[in-house]
Amino acid sequence: MKRFILAFIAAYIFLFLWGWLLNGVLLKDVYAQTPNLWRTQTEMLGFFHWILIGQALIVLAFVMIYASGFAGGGAIAGIRLGILFEIAAIGMRMGVYAVQPFPGKLLVYASIGGLIEMVITGAIVGAIYKPAPARMP
Amino acid sequence: MNWKKFFIAFIAAFGFIFLFGFLWYGKLMHGAHQEVPVLWRTEADFGNHFSALVFGHIVMAFFLTLACARFVPAGGAGGCATLGILVALIYAGADLITFAVQPLTTKILCGWIAGDLIQFAIAGAIIGGLYKSDSRSTA
Repeated sequence: MKRFILAFIAAYIFLFLWGWLLNGVLLKDVYAQTPNLWRTQTEMLGFFHWILIGQALIVLAFVMIYASGFAGGGAIAGIRLGILFEIAAIGMRMGVYAVQPFPGKLLVYASIGGLIEMVITGAIVGAIYKPAPARMP
Repeated sequence: MNWKKFFIAFIAAFGFIFLFGFLWYGKLMHGAHQEVPVLWRTEADFGNHFSALVFGHIVMAFFLTLACARFVPAGGAGGCATLGILVALIYAGADLITFAVQPLTTKILCGWIAGDLIQFAIAGAIIGGLYKSDSRSTA
């Protein structure tokens, strides 16, 4: 349980910082091309806690899935799970792209950023979380 | 891995996810979505991007089938439905973040989260029922 919590905290800190760097700095100009689709900066601050809760939910589910079927494989198993999750995220993004008028390059950049994010998140979780040793009868 | 059963489970999952998405998000939530029309493509523009929607659903169904087939050791509809719920929590987290940055209504957010949970729990159960039950019987 201690390693579960440690893995959660470490992955959460990374996800938060990467999310800020990717969406708040690197892709800022791409988002600015479709201002109608986004809340204003001031409005976003009022909804900031939802970002924190959403990221916590993503990391919690990630660590739970890792612990239930991948644990023991170390960082490599974590990276595999991260890549698998990013495939699912790309599927979701394509569905959103079909219904929302954001530029295609945002889909590409967000998917590349998402792949980096999930690979590193997986490596962190895999390196920190270890399954409890099996008890001898 | 039993690829024949995998393919059948994948097709069934895709069929369900696509049909559920059409009914839940396209029909049931149509009114809620129309409260913020600026966020959506026009009918004609949506038609031009329909292939992206289909491909996105194929990718999601493939991911869930692969995850269920390889990583639910206990197998069966129950185990895969549980995995589906955990996957839905990740999508729900993404929905919350989207709610924070896009002018969605609370009604849309709740509808999306409920839809994710129902969609992936049932899709997981379908996959687990079709793939794992046969794997056990042939083992």
